[in-house]
Amino acid sequence: MSAGARFVGWAVGWASAHRSWHCGNGGLKPTLRLIAISFALLCAGQTQAFDLDQLSAQLAKPALVRGPFIQQKHLRALPQPLTSKGQFVLSREFGLLWFLHSPVQQDYRIDANGIARRTPQGWQPQPGQDVAAQQSRLFLAVLKGDHSGLARDFDLHLQGTAEAWQLQLQPRSLLLKQIFSAIQIQGGALVERIELQEVQGDSTVLLMPDTQPGAELAEQERSDFAP
Amino acid sequence: MPLDRPALERNLPRLFGLLLLALLLLAAWQWRNGPPVAASMLALLPAGSSDALVQQAEQRMQEPLNREVLLLVGHPQRAEAIALAGQLGQQWQALPQFDRVQWSLQADLAAIRQQLRGSRLELLPAADRQLLLAQPELLIQQRVAQLFDTFAASSLLPPEQDWLGLGARAQQGLNPHGRIQADLGSGVLLLESQGMTWALLRAHTAGDAFDLQAPKAIAAAVAQARTVVTAQGGQLLAASGVLYAAAGQAKASREISWIGGGATLGALLLLLLAFRRWRVLLSLLPVAVALLAGCTACVLVFGQINALTLVLGASLIGVAADYPLHYLSKSWSLPAWRSWSALWATLPGLSLSLGTNLIGYLALAFTPFPALTQIAVFSAAGLIGAYLCAVCLLPAWLAPLRLTPPASLLGFAERLLRLRQRLLDKTGSGPLLLVFLLLCGGGLWQVQSQNDLRQWLGQEPQLLAEAQQIAALTGQQPTSQFFLVRGADQQQLLERQAALALRLDGLVAAKQLQDYRALSQLQSPDSALQLLRAALQQLPQHWQPLLAMGIPLAALQQELAQLLLPGPSLETTLAGPLSEAWRPLWLGATADGVAGLVSLQGQANGAQLRGAAEGLDGVQLVDRIGELNQLFAATQLSAAELKLLSCGAILLLLCLPFGFAGALRVVCLPLLAALATLACLGWLGEPLTLFSLFGLLLITAIGVDYAILLREAIGGAAVSLLGTLLSGLLSWLSFGLLLLSQTPAIANFGLTISLGLFFCFLLAPWAANKVPSQ
Repeated sequence: MSAGARFVGWAVGWASAHRSWHCGNGGLKPTLRLIAISFALLCAGQTQAFDLDQLSAQLAKPALVRGPFIQQKHLRALPQPLTSKGQFVLSREFGLLWFLHSPVQQDYRIDANGIARRTPQGWQPQPGQDVAAQQSRLFLAVLKGDHSGLARDFDLHLQGTAEAWQLQLQPRSLLLKQIFSAIQIQGGALVERIELQEVQGDSTVLLMPDTQPGAELAEQERSDFAP
Repeated sequence: MPLDRPALERNLPRLFGLLLLALLLLAAWQWRNGPPVAASMLALLPAGSSDALVQQAEQRMQEPLNREVLLLVGHPQRAEAIALAGQLGQQWQALPQFDRVQWSLQADLAAIRQQLRGSRLELLPAADRQLLLAQPELLIQQRVAQLFDTFAASSLLPPEQDWLGLGARAQQGLNPHGRIQADLGSGVLLLESQGMTWALLRAHTAGDAFDLQAPKAIAAAVAQARTVVTAQGGQLLAASGVLYAAAGQAKASREISWIGGGATLGALLLLLLAFRRWRVLLSLLPVAVALLAGCTACVLVFGQINALTLVLGASLIGVAADYPLHYLSKSWSLPAWRSWSALWATLPGLSLSLGTNLIGYLALAFTPFPALTQIAVFSAAGLIGAYLCAVCLLPAWLAPLRLTPPASLLGFAERLLRLRQRLLDKTGSGPLLLVFLLLCGGGLWQVQSQNDLRQWLGQEPQLLAEAQQIAALTGQQPTSQFFLVRGADQQQLLERQAALALRLDGLVAAKQLQDYRALSQLQSPDSALQLLRAALQQLPQHWQPLLAMGIPLAALQQELAQLLLPGPSLETTLAGPLSEAWRPLWLGATADGVAGLVSLQGQANGAQLRGAAEGLDGVQLVDRIGELNQLFAATQLSAAELKLLSCGAILLLLCLPFGFAGALRVVCLPLLAALATLACLGWLGEPLTLFSLFGLLLITAIGVDYAILLREAIGGAAVSLLGTLLSGLLSWLSFGLLLLSQTPAIANFGLTISLGLFFCFLLAPWAANKVPSQ
């Protein structure tokens, strides 16, 4: 067994002994999905920037975007992807609302405090506050157009034209490489598609066919963002 | 006796010279690899249980404490914390003191996935088991939602290996709260707290923590790391048993030089003041010989010498300097003082002193405490060395000396004796004794016995604060308490651990225990698995929603069939990457079955833990500290008994020169002094500890010495009293300084000796042959 495996064994065991470990389970994939989504959404609306710095400069611009999304999980073992649908609202000021409508209903809110789920008792923070904080910090960094955090963990490749561009994120670290082979974000005038390719052959595709810049938050959305 | 004294006076120094040379060579050989000094006070504790399995278990539990250094590198900037941890990690990896330094999680996920897949049923958390047994339809429903959910916690196992989601649940059970997380890019393990990011770094020391030189080097590495981290605006926290060892070592060497140096300086001044000849300083030579002989004997017998022995042994200076005083003090009575003739005159008393001292010290060797045994060996060897030096060598070197000590000191002693006589004339000895005994009784009433391991360890507030901060940040707080569980075979062991775990769950829920770790968490006993497998067999009735998603029936059936197969053996499971933290808990085969441990987190009430083990077969609570505290008390008793025995031996020895009545008097006076000392501790509110008891034992040995001096009264009562005063002062110079020690045990010892010396001196005149009549 490699030293790395011993270490992860230690870390998992050690940390789980005091019930505080969180890696490779809830942490990784949602985080990446979040990064990809937020990065992609924020690229929406920019027209000519193909240099990453220009792209970043554009990111802070849109104050609010919203639209429907379709999530497709392509599993090797299934002939048909698992498809779910919903609506999202991204506010530069407050964060992201992610409402899954079908086939199951689940609302998420991602803001400076981390990830929360809507329950009958109101918004419930997801277990693992610190992980959520890490995710939201990355998310907010992206929101502000700071891609240095991403560049540390991924190789970024931007290709294409303003009307059809593609951003590829290639994981650098050994840990990430064991989970994701690549993340691809495609867009035209707006972001249209995000794909997360897992090492084991499965992939998740997020389609955002009709994202629109919004004027301001609706009353309900405003109260959803309220703490 | 037909002794040829001139020939003896010629040959004895040569003979001793040869002995000393041999001793020096032996010592030099022993120190060839640096000082053989061990720092751990705990190493002096008794081995505890004689049960080999318990000892093995204790060793297993202490290993991480003694061999691991845990660092938290904190910085307000997350990236800085990660960079600092990497920098330190690389530096430490290059150090010879560490054989493994880990700061980055570069996990082999394939191995983890494999173990998770194979053991998911065994690892299933209690709540999820309940769900499977009672509400299988809800379990399926939750899994369906999870597969569609964008932000649901994702699993290490791909869905086609885990359609039912048991692997995902088992994985969640391993990590219910995410306080520590791995940085995605670097793999560094991080904690967030109050605006600081802390990176974890764990180093495994190459040698044993109580390897003699390692702690110092490791403490230096930590100090250097602290400088680096602080210079870059960060903060460093470190916790390790090694650091305590290093601090103990540093403190001990500081105190040895303090106390030894102070005692030597004081003795020098006192001798110069009393005899006004430079050459008389040679009489400190026996002290050096005593320390040399004591050290060498200890290393010879035990392989090394403990710092505590050295600190207490340094106080031997006071006793060793006594011997030359026996004959030096005769210069007040012998007008033409000659070293050899003074020696011959005092030799019987000197030899008696040695004999009684040896008996007093050697009694300590028979207590079950390695500490006391070591001190006994050190002292006995030291005293013999000092005696031989004082008898064989010193008179030759002092031969040219012509002593004309100031008469004023003798006058002072005479005044003291007159004062005492006037007091006795007024009251008589009887009433004085009565008052004395009453005072003693009052004090004894208030004596409180207290035995706590913390007295041995002393205070290291800085280390303690850091360890507490680390415990608060990580939630990790290892304790010395644990359960040892035995079983006829693996299944019985797991059953028993599971039964214990159920009770511990109750303590955890009631917040009386922080957490625990048991082998049964990793590998459920078969009886529990049978229930789960029975429930699994009913699952096809409920899995329609999964089929509706398009999952092929064959895939579900295949997964179910795999879950119904027997899981991996305990050994296989323990070898897996997820099991590292559980691995030390498995002790393997024993003479009558197998054994394993259940470790605990956070201090818990010993009685409650015993309650948790009560009525469970094969479950034993091992509470080393509680056990030791009990053992301290038991040792006190046996030490007191040994002392009484040794008093009997001294009595027999003294019967030879003094007759029974005289011997009884000489032995009773020190006992009375010890009693008064004990009473004083009571009046002062100081506890009686194992160490003060040791002090009392020493006091009786020294007291007998004084009583012999005054009983023999060579050169007159005043001269003998002056000799006693001088040697008392010399002893006090060394023992009294122990009062200043930062280790409570040693300070307590110093106080006891100081008080005892005072009473010994006060009572010694009653040893004189004739009680002066009125």
